[in-house]
Amino acid sequence: MRRVSFFRWTLILVPCLVLFFMAPLVLSKYLVFILNLLAVYVLVAIGLNFVMGYTGQISTGHAAFLALGAYFTAICATRASSLPFYVLLPMAGCFAGLVGFLLGIPILRLRGFYIAMVTLAFGAVVSEIALQWSSLTHGDDGLRVPSAFLGTFVFDSDKRLFYLIQPVTILLILAARNIVSTRVGRAFLAIRQSETAAQTLGINLSWYKTSAFALSAFYTGVAGALFAYAMTHITPDSFSLSTSIDFIAMIVIGGMGSIFGSIIGAVILTAIQQLLGSLAEVQMLVFGIALIVFMIFMPRGISGALRSWRAAVKARKKQSLENTPKGEGYP
Amino acid sequence: MLIHIVISGIATGCIYSLVALGLTLIYKSTEHVNFAQGDMSMVSGFIAFTLFAWLKVPVPLAFFLALVGSLGLGLVMEFLLVKPAIRASHFNVFIITLGASIVMQSASGLIWTHNEFPFPSLFPNKSLVLGPVRTDAGSLGIIFSTSLLMLALFLFFKYSKTGTSLRAVSQSQQAALLMGISVKRCFALTWAISGLVAGIAALLIAPVVFLSTALGFVVVNGFAGAILGGWGSLPGAVVGGVILGVLENIAPFYFPSEIRNIIPFAVLVGVLVIRPSGIMGEERRRRV
Repeated sequence: MRRVSFFRWTLILVPCLVLFFMAPLVLSKYLVFILNLLAVYVLVAIGLNFVMGYTGQISTGHAAFLALGAYFTAICATRASSLPFYVLLPMAGCFAGLVGFLLGIPILRLRGFYIAMVTLAFGAVVSEIALQWSSLTHGDDGLRVPSAFLGTFVFDSDKRLFYLIQPVTILLILAARNIVSTRVGRAFLAIRQSETAAQTLGINLSWYKTSAFALSAFYTGVAGALFAYAMTHITPDSFSLSTSIDFIAMIVIGGMGSIFGSIIGAVILTAIQQLLGSLAEVQMLVFGIALIVFMIFMPRGISGALRSWRAAVKARKKQSLENTPKGEGYP
Repeated sequence: MLIHIVISGIATGCIYSLVALGLTLIYKSTEHVNFAQGDMSMVSGFIAFTLFAWLKVPVPLAFFLALVGSLGLGLVMEFLLVKPAIRASHFNVFIITLGASIVMQSASGLIWTHNEFPFPSLFPNKSLVLGPVRTDAGSLGIIFSTSLLMLALFLFFKYSKTGTSLRAVSQSQQAALLMGISVKRCFALTWAISGLVAGIAALLIAPVVFLSTALGFVVVNGFAGAILGGWGSLPGAVVGGVILGVLENIAPFYFPSEIRNIIPFAVLVGVLVIRPSGIMGEERRRRV
């Protein structure tokens, strides 16, 4: 039975993937760029979800990790131009991850909204450094990012970058799915439910909270590196507080504590950004209202709503099959 | 010279204290953290601005109406955002107020643009010489009116019946309910008072830094002050805010001036790392 369903899934997935990777051949340059940006946001959403959705800590400064990854890549690729992307990407991720780990150490003593405050402070300090340390970051003018290359093949157009960004993203989505269903993922979930209860179950609270931060920072750092390649030019104002809040809106809408929800959220964020591109004000208003409405009426986001809808459908099916009278045997 | 800087630091600090006070009031009675406290100030400032600049209402009346408006704003926030989420966790309410903060900021940007507007001061703009100390009337006015407000709040909480019931609710909602206190009404009242405090903060700070949508960011300094003083303690909020203001004014004197923007964050992280309970806070134990 399992085999059959696995087989059926591959039958659906493989053609989908093939179609997806043929997309740049038919789509316009602009649409391919949007797909690349979408992939970056998916990674950020997954990263943020490790901290907020799974472990239940609020991070209001995630744009800072994106900035760390992006600036690390831009600076290293300029200064050490022989480094290929497959070295730079993990390095950017690990650099952001290390910073996330170090940030996690003071945080692990704190709880609740203090963490939101420290991450807010962190975000502000990083964007201030990016602005002020102009010998390294060129301040307001920003940095040009050299193209990634593999041997003699240079990823110098959006369509070429597609074949760099998308595989990395798919790989990291699969990795995230696996992490979430292991012991580590379950520990994260337990911490969200109740820190004290998790502790009594033998979960090392500080270790898991810190590693959630490090993991989240790693994902966002890699996303930052890809972001740098996709944008080709980075400036400090792409990593402001409002970017961090956009990211929060993204996973609140998509669904906290769900990888699928992260993807939905990223799609919606990208769609709204493209639709209201010139109206930054309206865009913020929409995100703000979405945050409020979703938190009040649909706190588990779209993926949570889909899940409970599917459960309801299944329950109804089962009910009609067994033909039991309504309200009996079902609490 | 140094004394002058300290006095203007205290004046800045008084405004941070007011923001911190607004945050702490809401936290004490409802355990919610209101990220939109600074933006409530900003909106009250703009209400006053609209009244006197666009509708040509006399300034004192405009200020009074703005304070009434800010009180109403607190009530509206409670009614629209916090009440519907009555069963939501504090995590969710924090995100709701975060959403409210950016809604207010972007909506104000749409209505009033992001420009800076001059704002009339309640106090005469001249310098005073008190013995060896030179200072300006504006700073003294801010310090004086903040102290007056603090005294009024203290008397209200300590001696009035309503104030006592608010304190009862913050100690134990269950017990307060059993004593016949309407907890719902107390929550609404807390938000209203907090809104009023935000409005007063706006009228005091807007003449100093100009009125703009960026005024909402004062909430970060408010948080830093409240945490420095000890999160959840009303006297702590006042003391922490004042210390932060003084620090912020003195630091550019000794360090490069760019450091000023980072001070609240540095204080925040420093306090949380060294002594999370702040100056006057007490360690709280929590049940599962």
